[in-house]
Amino acid sequence: MNTLEIARQAVEIAQKLGSKATEAYILHSKALSIEVNNQEVETLKLAEISGVGIKTILDGRLGFAYSSALDRSSLEEVVGQSLANAKETTPDEYNVLPEPGKYQEDLDLYDQRIGEVPVEEKIEQARLVERSAREYDPRVKRVRKASYQDSEYYVSLVNSLGLESSYRGNYCGVGAFVVAEDQGEVQTGWSMDINRKYDQLQAAKAGREAGEKAAIMLGATTVGSQRVPIVFDPYVATEFLDLMSNGLTAEAVQKGKSLFAGNLGQQVVSSALTIIDDGRLENGIDSAPVDGEGVPTSRNVLIAEGVLQKFLYNTYTAKKEGVKSTGNGIRCSFKGSAEVGTTNFFIQPGVVSLEELLAPIEKGFYVTEVMGMHTANPISGDFSLGASGIWIEKGQKTKPVRGVAIAGNILELMENVDLVANDLRFFGSTGAPTVRIKGMSISGA
Amino acid sequence: MLEKAQLEEILNIALSKAGDFADIYLEKKKVNGVVCEENKLERVVSGYDVGAGIRVVSGEATAYAYTNDLSLASLKEVAKVVSQGAKGSKKDLTIDLRKLDNPPFFSIKERPEEVKMEDKAKLVKEANEVARSIDQRVKQVTVSYADSVQQVLIANSEGSIAEDERIRTRFVVNSIAAQGKDMQTGFESAGAAMGMELFELFDPKEIATLATKRALLMLEAKAAPSGKMPVVLAGEAGGTMIHEACGHGMEADLAQKGLSVYANKKGEQVASSVVTVIDDATMANYYGSYLYDDEGVKSQKTTLIEKGELKGYLYDRLTATQEKAQPTGNGRRESFQHRPLPRMSNTYLAAGETDPEEIIRQTKKGILVKRMGGGQVNTANGDYMFEVSEGYLIENGEITRPVRGATLTGNGPETLKLVEMVGNDVGFKIGTCGKDGQGAPVTSGQPTMSIKELIVGGQEIEDENPAWREVSLRPYWKRK
Repeated sequence: MNTLEIARQAVEIAQKLGSKATEAYILHSKALSIEVNNQEVETLKLAEISGVGIKTILDGRLGFAYSSALDRSSLEEVVGQSLANAKETTPDEYNVLPEPGKYQEDLDLYDQRIGEVPVEEKIEQARLVERSAREYDPRVKRVRKASYQDSEYYVSLVNSLGLESSYRGNYCGVGAFVVAEDQGEVQTGWSMDINRKYDQLQAAKAGREAGEKAAIMLGATTVGSQRVPIVFDPYVATEFLDLMSNGLTAEAVQKGKSLFAGNLGQQVVSSALTIIDDGRLENGIDSAPVDGEGVPTSRNVLIAEGVLQKFLYNTYTAKKEGVKSTGNGIRCSFKGSAEVGTTNFFIQPGVVSLEELLAPIEKGFYVTEVMGMHTANPISGDFSLGASGIWIEKGQKTKPVRGVAIAGNILELMENVDLVANDLRFFGSTGAPTVRIKGMSISGA
Repeated sequence: MLEKAQLEEILNIALSKAGDFADIYLEKKKVNGVVCEENKLERVVSGYDVGAGIRVVSGEATAYAYTNDLSLASLKEVAKVVSQGAKGSKKDLTIDLRKLDNPPFFSIKERPEEVKMEDKAKLVKEANEVARSIDQRVKQVTVSYADSVQQVLIANSEGSIAEDERIRTRFVVNSIAAQGKDMQTGFESAGAAMGMELFELFDPKEIATLATKRALLMLEAKAAPSGKMPVVLAGEAGGTMIHEACGHGMEADLAQKGLSVYANKKGEQVASSVVTVIDDATMANYYGSYLYDDEGVKSQKTTLIEKGELKGYLYDRLTATQEKAQPTGNGRRESFQHRPLPRMSNTYLAAGETDPEEIIRQTKKGILVKRMGGGQVNTANGDYMFEVSEGYLIENGEITRPVRGATLTGNGPETLKLVEMVGNDVGFKIGTCGKDGQGAPVTSGQPTMSIKELIVGGQEIEDENPAWREVSLRPYWKRK
């Protein structure tokens, strides 16, 4: 399927129908996923989908429509719908398309191996995940999910200013979600590894880690309400980082919805934190030559040692402030136009190891799971979550803890970070190292 | 969509190598959305999505493939791909498809595609204006309208063809109010398996007013207390608690894999005797209702817990087969890109007899939850949490002041045993339930009820809490 040619046709149709500016984005993807249970394939899923998203601009009015049918008459219909929608929106002079620009094609987004490896071997990866989890501890009795997946995508983007871009990429991953059981008590653990390179995929490690996470929580009890130092493991730290991502977009700032509005150049979080968004990160899952509008991607240090440096922009928000887009017009699929968002987004790792980070803690809480992060408020920054993890005494992990609530405000929390470890880890496209917080109230029994 | 003979051909190809069961799910979905933010109609979006998923089940194993090319040639190719994932021996099957003809149990008055986008946009604009006119502390308002018309056809090797059309409309308002540096949000939504007649039941301006007043109220609210305390959930609060504390654990896939605290407890007393929990996909025009589930099984009403006793689970075909139980019509999928899973529809805790006001009067000290937000559960151990988006303090049987930032955490079976009083006023709220990366439209509901104690995770630590005083803050970050 020549999707670039179809995108060109769509733009042509729209311009003929009276659109002043048009953008056509086509995504074509193939995916494979395998789940095993008791070493048998439980689910084998194969997918191939494609679709087009059409953005039209009529006198500053923006219209959008999408379709997963790409034949000529469907294209005419979706273009017509986009134009009809444009008639209903409020005119806005900042609705413009990016001019064609130069981008370097030096990103390595495609691993030939992923396509070449036979399905049987990929099934073996999922089996290895499961075996490794079970072998880690005999109390790992059940596996809800031991999986392998890969995905390959082709993106074609054309706009009426002459911008054309197309690229392909792929990635693969393994995941485990397991259950440990002892004397009627049940605890769960999970792990994942998503990688651009098939040969770097760590199936056995993912399985062992899920097994360890589940087994270690057996016997968990609650603790009393108190104020103690808190340590977030990389995943929990990543979840909190995600909560801040919206506030670092120019869109949130312009709409008065950012935690960081008006604070450029100021200390907004602890000086232990440097936060980066890098659309060109080597092996980054969200790396791409251009963003969802065709603007070249870039590396942006958003917070340097606690000081707010810049926000992320797409074409619209950049035009509004008279600045350059940072290449952060993100589309999740062909079903939406590009909104400001993060690419590969992470907290820069520090120099100390996890052990060194824990060592000085007299009494504290190492949090490995929080529940309800999706209920946290990215606008006010307020959160109130269920938490579980391991109790720390004299720098050592001691006993599992569950049924604890933690609450606060993300900015206050991030101000109280006093150390980050050197163990940066990505969970898809966002990542963080272990993060230590000076003190925080926890409520338990 | 496709002829009977073509469907039979596809299913035969899918089962040509091996397998016990095959089905094909064809979907066409049209959506429209309007969003107003920054006082502007920013987005008017339409979408058309088509696709088909073909599945072969062999024992406990499933092979699934999907495409959005609905041509016969493409579907035959997909069926061939799937057939290679089937296991065991080839069964001697004759597939003779017949269309199921259960009549729809509710109707749509004003189909969304027959209403001009202009009229949808007008509702959104008006709601925005109302929200912004309430108070000058209102800083941002986001109003969104969305409708979807989803047509599905499910044909399977057991010989049935089921066709269903799900029309859903929803309207959501988010308001932000600010005073100095303090920024608070308020949210309200309405949605149903209806077209534009939704707005005869719910006035968009009223939704906007509720959301905005909630944001303003939270500006006045102080931090919620922390610790274990009695909780009253109002009948209008929504059913997030019952959805998380009970509903998910009753899904048969989780129960069969030992991932539910409710597994193997049929016939046992798992809740206080005032607790009856029901899942019912047949409630006329409710957001979580449908005629057939996404496996072509007729929808039904299922009692999960009756007067505290566990009665049954929610099944899709696969889990029902494994237990030799009947599917309950809860096999749902987000789209043709997903395989079915046991899911809730409209889930609620049934009404009791107590007057809701009496329940508050009998609470000495605790939290009143007037509106719940989202929630989450770890079904394996039953620990769950939900967010309070409008809450108050109850002191000596009276509602005193609003509180903010509270999250309630508890354990499902423990909570259900701690339910003390159940009111006579069931209320429902809509939501999107997420499981294994699939979203499903649901409602959940409950009457006003009191729970003896839950852990309230607020930011205020009470002075009388001895645990607080015990702790001393050491300068641990200074290395010895």
